[in-house]
This record gives sequence, C-alpha cells and structure tokens, in this order.
Amino acid sequence: MNETAMLEIRHYSKSYGGGKKAADDVSLSVMSGDIYGFIGHNGAGKSTTIRAVVGVLDFTQGEIFIDGHSVKDEPLACKRVTAYIPDNPDLYENLTGIQYLNFVADVFDLSAAQREERIRKYADLFEITDALGDQIGSYSHGMKQKVAIISALIHDPKLLVLDEPFVGLDPKATFTLKQMMHEMCAKGTAIFFSTHVLDVAEKLCNKVAIIRHGKIIEAGTMQELTEGHSLEETFLEADHE
Amino acid sequence: MNKKKGIILLKTLLLSTSQRNIYRYCTDKKKKRKIIGGMIGTGLLYIMLMAYCIAMCVGYGTYGLISSTPVMCALVISGIAFFFTFFKTNGYLFNFREYDMLMSLPFEAHTVAACKFAYMYIKSLPWYLSISLSMMAGYGYYARPKIYIYPVWILLSVFLPLIPMLLSAFLGFLLARFSAGFRKTNLIQTILTFVLLIFCFCLRFILEGIFKNDRVEEVVGKISNISDQSAGIYFPAKWFSDAITKGSMTGILLLACVSTVLFVLVFFLVGRSYRNINSALKSHAASRKFRMSTQKKHSVKQAIAFKEFKRLTGSTVYMTNAALGEILAALLSIVTLVIGFDKIIAIVTQGAPIDVFMLQPAIPFVLYFLIGMMATTACSPSLEGKNYWILQSLPIEKKTIYQGKMLFNLYLTVPFMVISTLCLCISAKTPALHTILYVILGIALCAFSTAWGCVCGIRHMRLDWENEVEVIKQGSAVTIYLLPNMLVTMGLVVLVVFLGTKMDHVLMTLVLIALVSVLALLSYLSVIRMCSHSPSSGAGAPKAV
Repeated sequence: MNETAMLEIRHYSKSYGGGKKAADDVSLSVMSGDIYGFIGHNGAGKSTTIRAVVGVLDFTQGEIFIDGHSVKDEPLACKRVTAYIPDNPDLYENLTGIQYLNFVADVFDLSAAQREERIRKYADLFEITDALGDQIGSYSHGMKQKVAIISALIHDPKLLVLDEPFVGLDPKATFTLKQMMHEMCAKGTAIFFSTHVLDVAEKLCNKVAIIRHGKIIEAGTMQELTEGHSLEETFLEADHE
Repeated sequence: MNKKKGIILLKTLLLSTSQRNIYRYCTDKKKKRKIIGGMIGTGLLYIMLMAYCIAMCVGYGTYGLISSTPVMCALVISGIAFFFTFFKTNGYLFNFREYDMLMSLPFEAHTVAACKFAYMYIKSLPWYLSISLSMMAGYGYYARPKIYIYPVWILLSVFLPLIPMLLSAFLGFLLARFSAGFRKTNLIQTILTFVLLIFCFCLRFILEGIFKNDRVEEVVGKISNISDQSAGIYFPAKWFSDAITKGSMTGILLLACVSTVLFVLVFFLVGRSYRNINSALKSHAASRKFRMSTQKKHSVKQAIAFKEFKRLTGSTVYMTNAALGEILAALLSIVTLVIGFDKIIAIVTQGAPIDVFMLQPAIPFVLYFLIGMMATTACSPSLEGKNYWILQSLPIEKKTIYQGKMLFNLYLTVPFMVISTLCLCISAKTPALHTILYVILGIALCAFSTAWGCVCGIRHMRLDWENEVEVIKQGSAVTIYLLPNMLVTMGLVVLVVFLGTKMDHVLMTLVLIALVSVLALLSYLSVIRMCSHSPSSGAGAPKAV
C-alpha cells in the first residue's frame, strides 16, 4: 500500500439481496492533500461506497484502508481519523445544537478549551452560533447540514468524507465550506466527496472518479480526465461509452 | 369518494407495517428469520394471555361466579384498550412522522385522523379478541349458554374495545388541543398526560373510598336503577353483559350503535382542529439567543447517557411509557409515608389476612413491578432509527454504546428504587438490616432490568420504523421484556410473601440478592457477547441514511 494514501479502496464490491451489485470492484486512492470528487448518476453506487468507507455499511469483498488501517479489522482506528457528513443529516432532534456538538466532542475526547475554541470558530463561520441553544428539531435542512459539518470539523480529521455536501446550503455557507475544504487540503487533510454538481467538482477537485452501475469507468487527475474539455463533457462522453 | 380514499389510506397504513408484506419482499434471510422469530414470540405471548384469561374463568367457575365473566371480560378489555390507546394517541393520531406527506395529499383532515385511529384499532384487535374469546370458552364451559350466545359474543367482541379507544383518543385530543396553546407544547402535554394517568390509577381507590364512606347512595342515585356497580359506572360493560347473560337485543344494538355514532362524532370534532394541533406539536420554538460560554468535558458513556436523557424527555410517548413506573413508585412511597403502610395494605388487599410483617420482603418486588415495568434499554437501540449512522460512524465500540444506554437506565431507576424502598421500609418499621438488604435487592433488580432490557433491545432491534410508537408500544423487544417480566414479578410477590411465613427474611433476601445478581450478570455478559458478534449495521437498518 502507498504510504501517503489516506484512503485506499481495493477491489471493493457490495451486493444487496438477489445478487445485484451496488458496487463492483471499485478501486481508488486518495492521498493526503487531495480533494477527490466522486461523481455519477443517482443509484450509481456513490453513497454505498461512501457508507462502506466510513464504516456504516458492511461489505464482504475487497479491502478499504484509512491511514493504513483496515476498515474491516480496525474500524475504531479508522473512525478516529475520519469525519463523515451524510447527504441528509438525520441528527438527534431532541438535543440542542450545542449539546450535539458536545456529544461528538466527548466521543473524540476533546478538551473543554479545544471544543470551545473550535465550535466558536466554525459556528461563527457558518453563522449559526445564535441558534446553537435551540433544539435541532427546530432547524431547517441547511442548519442541520451546518451542524453536521461543524461536528465533522471540530475533531480535526485526517480524512473528510462528504456525501453531496452542498445540498441545502445557502450560497454563503457553500462558499465557506469550499474555503474550509481548501484550507484543510493545504494542511494535508484528504477529502473524498460525492456530488452531482459538476461545475463545483471541476473547480474544487484535483482528482475525480466517475462511477456507473457500481463500476469505476474513469479515474485520475482532473487534467488527465478532461484533457482540455469541461468535466460535464467528459462525464457525458464517458457515460455514453 | 372520501370513503374510498379512506380505505386506500387504511390499506396502505396496514401494508406499510405488515410483517407478511415485509417478509414477502425482503431478500435478507437474517431479517426473514427475525420476522419468523418475532411471530413465534408473539404467538407465545398470545398463548400466555389466553391461558391467564382461561385460568381467571376457572376461578370464577369454581366459586360459582361465572355469570360475572361477561362483565369482567368487558371491563378488562375496556381498561386495557383505554390505557394502551391513551399511551399511543400522541404519536399515532398526532405528531407522527409522515404527517406532512399525508396532509399534502388530497385527504380530508378527519379522514386522516379516522384512518390512523382505525389502523390503531385493527392492529390491537387480535389482542382484545384473544382475551374475549378465551373468556368466552371459559364461560361456555361453566355456564353452558344457548348456542346463539357464541356468535353474539364474537360479534360484540369486535365492538367492545371501540368505545374506550374512542374515549381515550378523544381525551388525548383534548390534551393535545389544550397543550397546543402553549409555547412548550410537548412539555405541557407530557405533564398533563402524567397527571391524567396517575388520576386513572388512583380512581379505583377514590371510588372505593366513596363507597366505603357510605356516600354510595349519593353516587348510585345519579346512575339510577343500575344494579351492578361496576357495569353501572361503565355502561358498555352492562350492555355486553345483558346481551350475553339475558340475550338482550337492546344491549347488542346499544353497543353497536353507540360505538358507530361515537366514531363519527369523535372524528368530526377531531378533524376540525387536526391541522392546528399537529402544527403546534410539530413546530418547535427557536429563540436564537445562544451565546458561547465555557463547555464541559464528559466521558463517552456519560455523553451517551445524556443523549438518552434528552431522547426520553424530548418525547411525550417515550416519557409517559418509560418514566410512569418511577413516578408511580415515588407517589406510592410518599402516600405510604403519609397514610401508613398498614392502611395501604388494607386498601390494596381489601381485608385479606395479610399483615405488615408478611409483606415486608415483597417491598423491593412491589417497587420493581412499577420501576421495572419498562426499561429504556429495551427500546433505545431501536429508537436510534435513522440516527443510527451517527453512532456507527463514530469511533466508539458497540459495547460502549450499550454501556452508556445501560448507565442511563440505572440513573433513571436506581434513585427512585432506593428512595422508594427507604420510604416504604420506614413506614413499615422494617429493621435496619432488612432495610439495607431490601435496598441492595432493589438495586440488583434495577441492574437486572437494565441488562435484560438491553438484551431484548439488541436482539430485537428494529431501525426501519416510521413512528416511534411502533418501537415503544408495539416493538417485539418491549413486548418480550415487559409481559414475562410483569407476570414473573407478580408471581414473585406472592412467592416471597408465602416463603416469608416459612423462613427467615434475611436469609431469603440474601438468596434472592444472589439469584438476581447472577441473572443481571448473565444478561450483562450476553449484551457484551452480542456486541462483539453483531455486524456494524443493525437489523432493519435503513438502507439510505
């Protein structure tokens, strides 16, 4: 295994009942400092792969390594360095925003001073500080998404995995998140995210993989893949082949 | 048109939770096995319930009281139907998850409310029928009624739970309507529900007090010309009894017609405020006044326990089901301290030859009957539902998650158990050594309830629910925990009182502490074993999170 690969997926396959493969022999590597885009149609297998990476979904075939640890054999070691933001964050609706963030901070063993400083920083950036005392049940989709993002950032992960992170965010929050992703990438964090918004992927990512019917059909650096064309054109072309 | 739409909605509601439908279209063999296991477990509970009802009839038959069976049957079914519906109203009729989706479709508000009620009725009808039909068998054996009584009994069994369920739903509606006017709607509703439930529990004693104080004429005078006191208070029981024992056509017609008219009336009234109530229950107040201040660090288990506390207090259904026993135990201990242990015994046992000394060893079990009635650990694994991804994606071992959940149940039960035991022991003038042992036994029982609840909760975890009532009131984990636990505890109360007359209380309590501790330890080890074997995605885990 490559020493600098923060996430390495090797021949990962996932079958649901009836033998239908949601992911079929998926292999890719995300290095420290990469912003890796994962694109494909609805039902192509993006979320299935992402959920297997973060340890939410079991899989039988292949291997997934995070920071050199196997997701199958050392799930806790993997989760300690990973943060996950799902596409539709179902959070604990009876907790207030600050209670939820403290819950995640407790799990990651953050000191009182560390959590205070980071929550303050990210909550101010996403302009949600004044709402942290309210119940999550009273939040809009975008506000829940912001809390999920803050909870993912406060423990300073080495690998950030996001499933459709821009859905439901307002333009300012979208801009802030993109900025955060660039800053994290500059510090060496690896970012792996799925998206439908090809313009965003093109501007944000240095690497990209296209998945169709559970199989990776194209993967590489943005330049290698697009060869002077737009990502949209490349995606549509690859999709027709 | 509306009727047709109502039928479509009802059919869909039933189909969405039908185990047969899930089994038919499920491709996961493990899930299929769980469904079959759940069905077998439920079947066993039906058998236990029916055996209990038949045994009750045998008792009546033996003492020549078989003619009271129809009244008893009507009262038992009505009582259960009333209580269980009341617990379920908030969550089934109001404040349910798919409210927005349903109300956006072209349904009248009263159609949605009526269909939700009909769904609740159809789902619980088999339980009521099992009680009624087994009592019919017992009555038939001893009373040898005319052959036409059997179809009448069966027909009226279908109507019997309807009136109490409608009354209970309407009461729930009134509470919801009242609470909807406040900013903290859920809190007000939880408090009012508790007050009403406690009042219902005390009603029996209040009525007995009235009768014993020779004010019976005053009460009965208002309910003129009714001979049977119990059926006199609750008319449908009398109509049912008259239909069975006297073949009264009036009784049959009254029960059927009143049920139907009440159904139409209740849902006409409920429909008028349905949108208003649900809007109030589903919208939360947001103050946006938070200012960052010093935060505190906790251990992972404490953090999970706190999360569980907020889950409990955030839901009226969960709170009224899980914390009712604790509230009742606290009330019992306060009342006992004020009135006196001997007087409470006299009221409860109604003059049976049982003295204070004989009942002392039963104190921990009586309290456990209330406090251990429901363990949060039995439903909290399933209650994670669509939030399950949070715990799955965090770096926490499975056993830590369940240790946190168990810690919360201990936080909830142990203080109530210790304080209530001390209050009862003080009132019963129990010697100091006995008191200490009863407290230890109470704590051991709480530990057992916590760990055994967790075993049931993990083994029968179900995450793909649409409504939390499906987990809290109807989940197989809760049923498998609750019914045997309550029946065994009732048996233990009798056994301990009996053994207490034959052997030394200290020795007996020590043996019981050892026994319960071993059972608690075995249950705890079972939880740990299940945590190390279970896959990362739980049974019924939602596919798309």
